[in-house]
Amino acid sequence: MRLYLSFILLLPLLGGIVNTVAGRLLPRRLAEWLACTAVAASFGFALAAFLSYRTPVTVELFRWLTAFDFQAPVALYYDPLAAVMCLMVTFVSTLIHVYSVAYMAEEEDYARFFALLNLFVFAMLTLVLAENLPLLYLGWEGVGFCSYALIGFWYRDEKNATAGRKAFIVTRIGDFAFGIAVIWLFRMCGTISITQINGMGTAVPAGAITLLGLLFLVGAMGKSAQVPLMVWLPDAMAGPTPVSALIHAATMVTAGVYLLARMFPLIGSSATALAAIAVTGGVTAFYAATCALAQRDLKRALAYSTISQIGYMVLGVGCGAVTAATFHLLVHAFFKALLFLGAGCVIAAMHHEQDIFRMGGLARRLPLTFWPFLAGSACLAGFPFTGGFFSKDSILAAAWLKGGALYGSLYLLGMVTALLTAIYTFRLVYLVFAGPPLTVPPPLMGTPTPTLPHQGGGSIEAPRLMEAMLIPLALLGLCGGVLNLPAYLGEGWLAGFLAPVPGDGNMEASSGLEMVLQGIAGVVALIGLAIAHVRYSGERRARLIEAAVGPPSAMVAFFQNGWYVDALYRFLFVRPYEALARFFWTRVDEGVVDDSLDRFAALLGATGQGLGRWTNGRVSVYILSLAAGAALLLAYLAWVVL
Amino acid sequence: MIVPLAHVLILAGIIFALGLACVIAWRTNVIMMLIGIEIMLNAAMLVAVGGSRLWGATDGQVFALMIMAMTSAEVSLALALVVYLHRRKKTVNADEFDSMKG
Repeated sequence: MRLYLSFILLLPLLGGIVNTVAGRLLPRRLAEWLACTAVAASFGFALAAFLSYRTPVTVELFRWLTAFDFQAPVALYYDPLAAVMCLMVTFVSTLIHVYSVAYMAEEEDYARFFALLNLFVFAMLTLVLAENLPLLYLGWEGVGFCSYALIGFWYRDEKNATAGRKAFIVTRIGDFAFGIAVIWLFRMCGTISITQINGMGTAVPAGAITLLGLLFLVGAMGKSAQVPLMVWLPDAMAGPTPVSALIHAATMVTAGVYLLARMFPLIGSSATALAAIAVTGGVTAFYAATCALAQRDLKRALAYSTISQIGYMVLGVGCGAVTAATFHLLVHAFFKALLFLGAGCVIAAMHHEQDIFRMGGLARRLPLTFWPFLAGSACLAGFPFTGGFFSKDSILAAAWLKGGALYGSLYLLGMVTALLTAIYTFRLVYLVFAGPPLTVPPPLMGTPTPTLPHQGGGSIEAPRLMEAMLIPLALLGLCGGVLNLPAYLGEGWLAGFLAPVPGDGNMEASSGLEMVLQGIAGVVALIGLAIAHVRYSGERRARLIEAAVGPPSAMVAFFQNGWYVDALYRFLFVRPYEALARFFWTRVDEGVVDDSLDRFAALLGATGQGLGRWTNGRVSVYILSLAAGAALLLAYLAWVVL
Repeated sequence: MIVPLAHVLILAGIIFALGLACVIAWRTNVIMMLIGIEIMLNAAMLVAVGGSRLWGATDGQVFALMIMAMTSAEVSLALALVVYLHRRKKTVNADEFDSMKG
């Protein structure tokens, strides 16, 4: 096991280092092959570790931080939660790496790209496998750094660099809370080992647990883009599409959910913290779904849907259903990576056109992209018997079973969100893939009409390698439900496997109730499809596209801009901060510090000038000065003596 | 001792002050300034001789003789300089020669 776990971690690190140091010297094929193989082999070892798993193990690789009582070795903890996360991360990353080879075929800076991708996988795996909180924090920050570097990968464009910085700074707010929680836990428990902390249980005072839960929640908010720290994720779409798929769909943003699930045995005993987590998740799910309804950019719409789906996972943790949250996390990783990669195919085929109102008719032109994308959409919308259906429903069922006014309303909110999800998902499908191919592009306001490359039978296809990567993801997304079937369809494998992960399974729905709940969810999804069909197909679709040329209505603009939260933050935080910075710059630094020094220097200079005028070369003045000085000395001596 | 040392010192102080006043006041003539310097040197010699008389040692008188010799050498050099300066600027006003400024 020690061998497997070490290799899971070391291979991506090795690939990253080799590509960092020597990537530019290697032939392109070799660099790409190296990056892909490293991750693929890591997946192989993850699989081997999974197959040979018996009981949770702790493997200490070497000592890292040691000072008095503070012990933070590089120790890995392999339990069911870590096992499924490792499998998912390495598997999805492998596909995305291979996909990137085709997607970034034109990119000059491939070495940097693949080095960062590998390092990102390494950081994520460190986060997942860490046995103690400082090591987890290391992975957490590593993930943050790599995402910053990858979002701003095309840094020559100011917008992308800004998006990278924004992601880094916003997640930093959450990291800060997480860091406080780690230090506090050490002060209180005297240990930072996750297993030991989770075993403490009632030894920790209840009030402290609540506060710790809230701190962890803030940390998760930053990394998982939950309300109110969600503003960075839509902007993070500035990065290359494989990066969006890897970081902002499948792995990094789930780190927050993973953290909450990991620490659940500790924070789960606080009802307040759980309620806060659940409310955060529910509100986020709803907020992001409404925003996704109005987006015009294909990737931004998917980004908002990611925020929404992670909101579901957080809601699941808040309901105490760690298994359901993990289940949704896995299935979501598959179908969201699929959707992003499909979007990448579309964008590549449309020669970097991302506006969904300027696409159309792609179903016939890109069949190999269309069918997997449709499968992913069905999962996202929660169509009956797809993976997303079972996983989303298990979360909603958990909310229902929790009962009470709060969780009841969260259940309703989740249902409404599910409806919205179905609508916006199929809005995307209809606008992108259905309808006639757009031959007369509606000109965007103020921009010169670009010639559409797919006009008039021009070549329009995505690279085969990219489309091939969609198929396994589509299969996994569709069949993901098999992982954890509800009780009436057989035994839930994942629930059984995750059973050793504490803090779950306190409620068992009767089969009848579960079927009713799932029936409702299925009907809601179908209603959503019907609404989308009415609104976005055929004639209505054409009219919408025509209407989209003009300025959007107030409500559409409201949702399109994410409820103007960005503007609000700009007004509330950025502007005052800038004003403060300017105050310190012009008033304090330049005004007080610099000016006082300048004045002092000027004073000394003037004094020197004045004194210099004394040495005017006249002997008489010198003699007089000498005599006066001597007289003064004599007077002083006389005063002292007499 | 007929004359007390205090009297000698007072006289030397007066002479020194007169010489200093001469140097300070008569700056329009370098020769007068040199004379002032001589007067001050004489005051110093007077103190040396008075001291020698008080302690009954001869060093003070020897020193006075040394100063006299030094003064005569100095005056000859200084007068040569004055002649040279007068040739340059046709004046003996000390303040005219102020080219060495800081």
